Amino acid sequence: MSLKSYSRARAVHAMLVYTGGCNGCDIEIVNAVFSPKFDAEQYKIFLTWNPREADVLIVTGPVTKHNEKPLKEIYDAIPEPKAVIAVGACALMGGVYKNIHGDIPSEEIAGPVDQVIPVDAKVPGCAVRPEDLLAGAVAALPLLLDAK
Amino acid sequence: MDENDKPKRQEVIETEVTMGTVHSAAIEPYRVRLFVEDEIVRDAEITVGLNHRGIERIMEGLPVEKANSLTEKICGICSNSHIWNSVLVAEKGLGIEIPERASYIRIIMGELERLHSHFLYLAHGNEVLGHETFAMRLFYIRETVMELLRMIGGNRVQYGVSIIGGVRPRCELDLMRIQKISEGMDLIEQKITEFADRFVSDPMIMSRITGVGVLTKKDALRLAATGPTLRSTGVDLDLRRDMEIYDPFEFDVITQEDGDVKSNLLMRVLEIPESIKIIRQALKNLPSGPITDRSWEMQDTGIIKSYIEVPRGKLLHSYALEEGRVRGSIVRTPSITNIGAMQQACIGNHISDAQLAIVQCDPCFTCTDRAIKITQIQI
Amino acid sequence: MEIFIKYSLAVIGTLIVAIFVGLWLPGIERKFVHARIQQRIGPPISSPGFMAPLKFFFKETIIPNSPLPRLYNALPLIGLLSIFSILLLLMPELYFLDELATVTAIVGILKIEEVIYVFMGSLSRSIMSLSMPFPDIVKGAKHPDVQRSFLEDLSAMRAFRLIAFGSFPIYIAIFVPVSMAGSIFLSDIVSYQQTQGPILFTLAGVLGAIVFFIGYMILLNEYPFAILKTKADVIEGPYMEYASKYRSYIYITRGLLMFTLGALFSALFLGLPPDILSWGILVNIAVALIFPIFMAIFSAFAPIFTFKQFYPVVVGFSLLGVLSLVIALF
Repeated sequence: MSLKSYSRARAVHAMLVYTGGCNGCDIEIVNAVFSPKFDAEQYKIFLTWNPREADVLIVTGPVTKHNEKPLKEIYDAIPEPKAVIAVGACALMGGVYKNIHGDIPSEEIAGPVDQVIPVDAKVPGCAVRPEDLLAGAVAALPLLLDAK
Repeated sequence: MDENDKPKRQEVIETEVTMGTVHSAAIEPYRVRLFVEDEIVRDAEITVGLNHRGIERIMEGLPVEKANSLTEKICGICSNSHIWNSVLVAEKGLGIEIPERASYIRIIMGELERLHSHFLYLAHGNEVLGHETFAMRLFYIRETVMELLRMIGGNRVQYGVSIIGGVRPRCELDLMRIQKISEGMDLIEQKITEFADRFVSDPMIMSRITGVGVLTKKDALRLAATGPTLRSTGVDLDLRRDMEIYDPFEFDVITQEDGDVKSNLLMRVLEIPESIKIIRQALKNLPSGPITDRSWEMQDTGIIKSYIEVPRGKLLHSYALEEGRVRGSIVRTPSITNIGAMQQACIGNHISDAQLAIVQCDPCFTCTDRAIKITQIQI
Repeated sequence: MEIFIKYSLAVIGTLIVAIFVGLWLPGIERKFVHARIQQRIGPPISSPGFMAPLKFFFKETIIPNSPLPRLYNALPLIGLLSIFSILLLLMPELYFLDELATVTAIVGILKIEEVIYVFMGSLSRSIMSLSMPFPDIVKGAKHPDVQRSFLEDLSAMRAFRLIAFGSFPIYIAIFVPVSMAGSIFLSDIVSYQQTQGPILFTLAGVLGAIVFFIGYMILLNEYPFAILKTKADVIEGPYMEYASKYRSYIYITRGLLMFTLGALFSALFLGLPPDILSWGILVNIAVALIFPIFMAIFSAFAPIFTFKQFYPVVVGFSLLGVLSLVIALF
């Protein structure tokens, strides 16, 4: 493993953007970072709130219309290489908010996330479990390591 | 707002500092505009709307069972409260008497949810205070509650316990579960007592939170604050006393006098033992019998309203039933009425305390983004 | 000529040791103190200080959102160079630079480091506050025509205030050895301690060391004194727009500043300037390790201070510093 990949694997800065789901996934992610039981820092994942520092963007929620532009801007602000992890059923396919009324198009939801920004890893679950989130972050790692 | 209640020194507002929509202190998306003069907040405006998913509109015309489980997705913190109240509306309309054991299990779930919500509140408060160690400690204690919720409901967040006529069969409390819950309660009571001693005797934290984000009793009533935010200003109002199913239980309603961050945080710390008390009584006196009554029949109803007390205050669900489908659904969550209190609590504080003053009202902006009609309250 | 080569080797060797030790300090702080207190495993010791800056070197260089992007990107380098020069001036090999190897020169260069925060804050225009696209000035909004400012402007204002009063403790503490040795020349202070014993073991020295420690925390912007970059309002403050290698300069600057202030302490209070040619360098490294550990213990148990708590702490410790100065004079 080259020095580049090694250093990327040893310090992953993750940013959390929450785009209007139900708070459930969101709190589980914060739980994964803050609770000593899960403690994401032991897997070298650090929580940051600054897109310029981040490598991994964790997106939850179905992306409501108001959140579409901020999400794009934050994605653009992250320097390459970057990875996006969509977390939770809403981020993956719009969740109940987009799908429960069948084929009628939703007026509120612009998502799911992969219609707004490119997604590299998907973590299913409603709400996602902290263990799954850590697994998802690990799944996105090879992308970061192999990038230029 | 009354004319004489407007901030007196409006003309000296110098600059505006905007936080949001993604911010480290507020995990949820909302925007707060703080109008500051020399780093002291003179006026504040909270803009919501980023979370609006139009759940009431989606609910229109859905079968009532489906609509009930959709209400759970309004909020991930108090999901059980939403489905509980939504089911209560249908039960009230259809005249269903649920088995006593089912209502006990609902109360146990409701109080467990209050526990996890209060722990989350305290942890978030400490995180905004900048005290990472206490935040992690509280998340660690909260994990016990989350495990109990997962054991009963099958999921850590959205556990869907209540259904029309009782509770889901998978949520039956057998002896092993009862024992585990009571063990968990002992553990939490011990931990929260230790934490409270440590918290109250810390001079740095106390000087940081005393007298910050003060909400007076008059303002709280005028701005229609509800729940713990209202009780922290000295108003003794808890809907649990008026709810029939809470009648067999003994518990105290906690009130504080000052309405600042300190009394809000202590409020939650003191409410946790009360919830534990209720859960212990429910486990001790748990009646035997079935947990679901399936003998009800669907019929059309008029608009039914139901209020319950949830961790953040008074929750209203209301809809009418027509051929088994939901019509004209209205949800009024406690957080939306607390927004006025949040703005008021910001005023007069240092800008670092502004987020703390918002957090002290226990905001939940996913609950908040509802379609509402605002009217003036006369006191 | 031989002496010249020996001296330059010593200077370069000391610098390398300083950078190497400085890079491990954040990891030690995080893993061995914070994580232990918070009862979790914590990150690997190399991650926060060593691998993170290395990783940022391999990231794409972007143009920051700033009115003067090049100046903004140059600022961390100026900060790094100023810390370097403090460390250079502390080395006994460079005491021949009479006027520069004095306490006042060091105080002046430390001021540069503080002033840089003001420039950083006022030049940063992050996406995270005002430029976030959101329709908040709509019909019915409060105060639609008020002047709007970025979060970083707030931290620039705070940095300005910190220059005014926040660094009193460390400067007062620095002048305790000066008044004991009766000279502002570092060489005199060091030789005074070699004959009279370390200043730390006198009453004025102990008080001065306590004040120095508080000043050290304020200068490093560590919790609870991190009003420049508190998460509760300004997120990361002046550093918001730094990415890629400029961000890693910030990481390196912080580690080096920790080491340099430790070396300053051991030169002024123990009489052992950083010099790779003597065993005293081990004392330097020990001081550089002990200070962050104490700092981390304090920061793990303290909430962030606002000005309401900040002013009394600074005033109190400044008075203590003045007291130690008075004791030192008599």
